[in-house]
Amino acid sequence: MSVLGLESRREVEIRRYPLLVYVLAPLIALVLQAWLPRVVGRYIWFDFPLLITVYFAMARRSPIQGTIMGVIMGLLEDALSHRAIGINGISKTVVGFLAASVGVRIDVENHTIRTVLTILLSLLSSAIYVFIFRIMLGLALEWSWFNELARAAGNALIVMVLFPLLDRFKIRD
Amino acid sequence: MEPFFSRYRNILVLFVILLAQIVGLAVQVRRTTDGRGILDSNDGPGVRLIRFWAESLLAPPERSIHYTKIGLLTLWQNYLDLHSVRQQNLDLQRTIDRLRLEQASLLEDARQGQRLQAVLDFQQKYIYTTIPAQAIGSSGSDQSRVFYIDKGSNDGIKPDMAVITADGIVGKTRDVFQHTAQVLEVNDQTAGAGVILETTRIRGILRGNGAGLLEIVGIMSDQRIKPGEKILTAGGDMIFPRGLPVGEVQKVIPDPDRDSYILVQVKPAAQLARLDEVLVVTSTQPRFSDQQQQDIAASEALKGSDVGTMKEQQKASQIMAERLPGLTDPNLPVVQQPDPTQPDATPKPVTPTRALPPLHADRFSPRAAAASLPVGPGSQPSTRPAAGSSPNAIRPAGNSTTKRMAPATAPATGRN
Repeated sequence: MSVLGLESRREVEIRRYPLLVYVLAPLIALVLQAWLPRVVGRYIWFDFPLLITVYFAMARRSPIQGTIMGVIMGLLEDALSHRAIGINGISKTVVGFLAASVGVRIDVENHTIRTVLTILLSLLSSAIYVFIFRIMLGLALEWSWFNELARAAGNALIVMVLFPLLDRFKIRD
Repeated sequence: MEPFFSRYRNILVLFVILLAQIVGLAVQVRRTTDGRGILDSNDGPGVRLIRFWAESLLAPPERSIHYTKIGLLTLWQNYLDLHSVRQQNLDLQRTIDRLRLEQASLLEDARQGQRLQAVLDFQQKYIYTTIPAQAIGSSGSDQSRVFYIDKGSNDGIKPDMAVITADGIVGKTRDVFQHTAQVLEVNDQTAGAGVILETTRIRGILRGNGAGLLEIVGIMSDQRIKPGEKILTAGGDMIFPRGLPVGEVQKVIPDPDRDSYILVQVKPAAQLARLDEVLVVTSTQPRFSDQQQQDIAASEALKGSDVGTMKEQQKASQIMAERLPGLTDPNLPVVQQPDPTQPDATPKPVTPTRALPPLHADRFSPRAAAASLPVGPGSQPSTRPAAGSSPNAIRPAGNSTTKRMAPATAPATGRN
């Protein structure tokens, strides 16, 4: 474990990517999220926008950038649905912020840690979604925690392939 | 103050962004008198703008992916996988010919029905104009069962138009953009449609539940509702024309929220999870579309050509009947002669009033035998030739006394 201070460690381990990756990766994630349900039917056990938010938040180690990435992905996801815009936005904003904050403190190079963190953040995102929908807005929503657990597990499986793939695009000093 | 902002910069940014989104949510949701929240069905201009941005950003790549998939499938189906296509074409051509004739008569009935409806000032909604569309994307969430089609306002799509497939209803259009439109599926929790059970004629409201299953609510407990009963649209919701297939009853369970009410779980007729091509009902006016008009004309032309062929065949039969004397019996009375002007007159067996005289009569010919003579011991055989018999008639050799033919009643063979 590094003995550097938090700020110094963040500066040392911050990752940088080509601009094209910052543009294309979220776009492809949103397109896949919108297109794949046409193929897999009701088994939407993945959340690509969440994974991209978590990945870039942890890689950049900047809570503000993680927050902004989360709000963009969440709002675009909301905009594709017919629900109120902002529900996914809030949940992914919080997730992006937390992922970046955690990324400063722990070693996110480790695949196991990243996978476990993704599962926890996926469940947290679902919990925030339900909280906003039912408690804050008072809207009727039938909910299945089994689906959310399945989604978290699916995300964990995708992470094992997606994160190493995205790691290849980082700019090496 | 500067150290405060720089120290808590991250938290402050998070707080501001969250606050802005919460305010945005508060604008979109309003409370009812009983404290429940309701999402405005009509988006405000700001919300609509965000949806427009998202659609503009994601629709082109989705469309590209979809059309690439279609292109590859077309390449495979139209150029590579052509096994037994020729035989299928022949079978289909026969089916088309048969269906055109059937359709002509059915459309004639439909036209008559419409005229009668107009007379009675009673009009039902019929589907007459639809636009085919491809499903190119979805919301990506199982909490929002919507999908996008590749047709929009430029193609004549408007909000609240029914979306169907050949199997059954799918949903209705919601947000319509220039080149795409959002379709709310009937199994979404916020969707609804008026339905009627085909046999029992019980009406209810179709809606989706959290698991994406269809159920009918608002039905009093009724023992007559059985699994397998067909469900149709009732037509009272001003979106779906009546009579469209919805699905069939899968299970009947008590409504947990209301006593003496039941929930009818429905198996949808359309494959809602796997939709590729759908039809948007753009007009329910009682009129025939151009395509149907063309079909009617084609059917009538087909019928006309068939009638012409039959007339030619009948005319040829008449000519043949006139030229072939064997087909008519000159010995028949006029009243029994077939009418040549009636082409469909079927030839009937005629019983002649008298037997025809034979050209070469012999003893077997009618009236060739003499009256019966008593045959007994010592009686002489008749050597007198029968009246009308030929001198060259062959006489049986040997004893002719033992066999004598009775006058035969010749069967009528004047016409075959």
